[in-house]
Amino acid sequence: MNTRPLKDLADIVRSKNAGPYRITFDILFKDKDRYEAVRATGAISAESVARAYGIDVSQVSSFFEIDMANAIKITIRRPRAQGSSGDGDMYGCQHHVPLMLIAVPVG
Amino acid sequence: MAAITVLTPTGTLGYGFGDDALARGMSLGPAVIAVDAGSTDPGPHYLGSGKPLVSDVSIKRELTALIRAGRAAGIPVIVGSVGGAGSGVQVERTARLVREIAQEQGLNFRLATIRSDIPIERAKRAVAAGEIVDFEAGTPLTAELLDETVTLVAQMGHEPICEALDGGADVVIAGRACDDSVIAAFPIWRGADPALAIHMGKILECGAFSAEPFAMDVMLGTVEEDSFLLEPGSTARRASVKSVAAHSLYERENPFKQSGPGHEIDLSGCSFEQVGERQVRVRGAKLTETTDYYVKLEGARLAGYRSIAIAGIRCPTTIRALDAILDDVRRKALDYFAPAPVAVAFHVYGGNGVMKELEPETAPQREIGLVIEVTAADQELAHAACHQISGAMLHYHYPGIINTSGNLAFPYSPSDLDLGPVYEFSAYHLMKVDTPTELFPVRYEDL
Repeated sequence: MNTRPLKDLADIVRSKNAGPYRITFDILFKDKDRYEAVRATGAISAESVARAYGIDVSQVSSFFEIDMANAIKITIRRPRAQGSSGDGDMYGCQHHVPLMLIAVPVG
Repeated sequence: MAAITVLTPTGTLGYGFGDDALARGMSLGPAVIAVDAGSTDPGPHYLGSGKPLVSDVSIKRELTALIRAGRAAGIPVIVGSVGGAGSGVQVERTARLVREIAQEQGLNFRLATIRSDIPIERAKRAVAAGEIVDFEAGTPLTAELLDETVTLVAQMGHEPICEALDGGADVVIAGRACDDSVIAAFPIWRGADPALAIHMGKILECGAFSAEPFAMDVMLGTVEEDSFLLEPGSTARRASVKSVAAHSLYERENPFKQSGPGHEIDLSGCSFEQVGERQVRVRGAKLTETTDYYVKLEGARLAGYRSIAIAGIRCPTTIRALDAILDDVRRKALDYFAPAPVAVAFHVYGGNGVMKELEPETAPQREIGLVIEVTAADQELAHAACHQISGAMLHYHYPGIINTSGNLAFPYSPSDLDLGPVYEFSAYHLMKVDTPTELFPVRYEDL
């Protein structure tokens, strides 16, 4: 089956702190059709996100599909707290790339 | 209930807004100007050090425009989480700027300041009484952690701000406040549905980030009987269902549930409706008051002092050997300075500098930017350890070395830079209180 990276199918893929101990990812789609098409493949899940970042699925703290916004939202626990020694991304805003490269099956 | 319009000039006071957008927004007849000035987002430094997030120059310039606009229209100006973290020194620093503005502009008004500092002993009593709940820190708050905490604040809800409005305040300079409470306070004080006012506050607190194109700029929200209406101040922007719905996901984990001081808001039944080209109507938030009233504590402690060195690496043989070199110089530094604890971190840009262990890619790199970071109990020790590591790396011998004259390209002399004190979050927990206002004293001054 053919696949395409999520970035080719989503309008916006972004990461950001949700408090000092979490990073939250938002995937927003241009319209309901694209949102539902990607959602239906099941390619974006707590498990696939954990795999993309090489973490245990227990580190994924939540996964939401948000119909009213044509969006999928995933939140993970930070390996180290924001601003603690060794943290490389104070705002958590440059963590989206492994997510946007997840392969999504297309027809 | 009459419609109540809130004008929010920008997402963070000091980050700017358009003069035209403010003028147009004011022409729409807002009942209040309300803006947020802080967050934990820039990191624990501002809470720990008391230094301001934004310069006095920018804060004063923007506050001057807002206070002048507010006084001309006879409406209050409310600023929350002033200084970046809302600590006592930051409240005082901002209040000083407001006094200067009153004098320089020849304005007379009533200033209310609201402190949000929590005495360490008060929090320790709560620990002992079992009245602290972990929020997301993953570890319990302890008396020991509180003893190490240099600044402790709590996020106020809308109630202390309403108290200041009861007291006739024209300008409210509030310490740490829940972002949405700053915006929601005035509408709630005037009798608006708290669920709608707080949901609107959550969207408005980022200014025109909920508009398209997004920016730090003016946004207006009008609370009506059973809905609220959003509109950007600038006619060069519009609110769309997509921009508002997208923004309602931003910087938060749960898109359907919004917890705040004393309440929880259920957003699962919300709807967004496009009104004309530039406005969006939002309905459906439902509020439940929690049985007990909890406030969120934010504390910072001194983690030590930091020194860093920045260097480039271009040689492919060094880049190939880099992981082993870093492990070895780190180990030798720890041995050298033992028993004094030094924390060593490497940011390997071009490798995994941004995401560290979350980085899945391992492609070989042409050039590496290396930041050596050392945190120790005092600045002298941090500097010594940083220089020990950068020097050891510079002249490190490894198998297959082709260039024996130096492994690091330093852009600076001195190679090692002292960054001063470093703070870490020490409290991010919920504390039970008896009343919403007990921890947030309001003080008035007639200027």
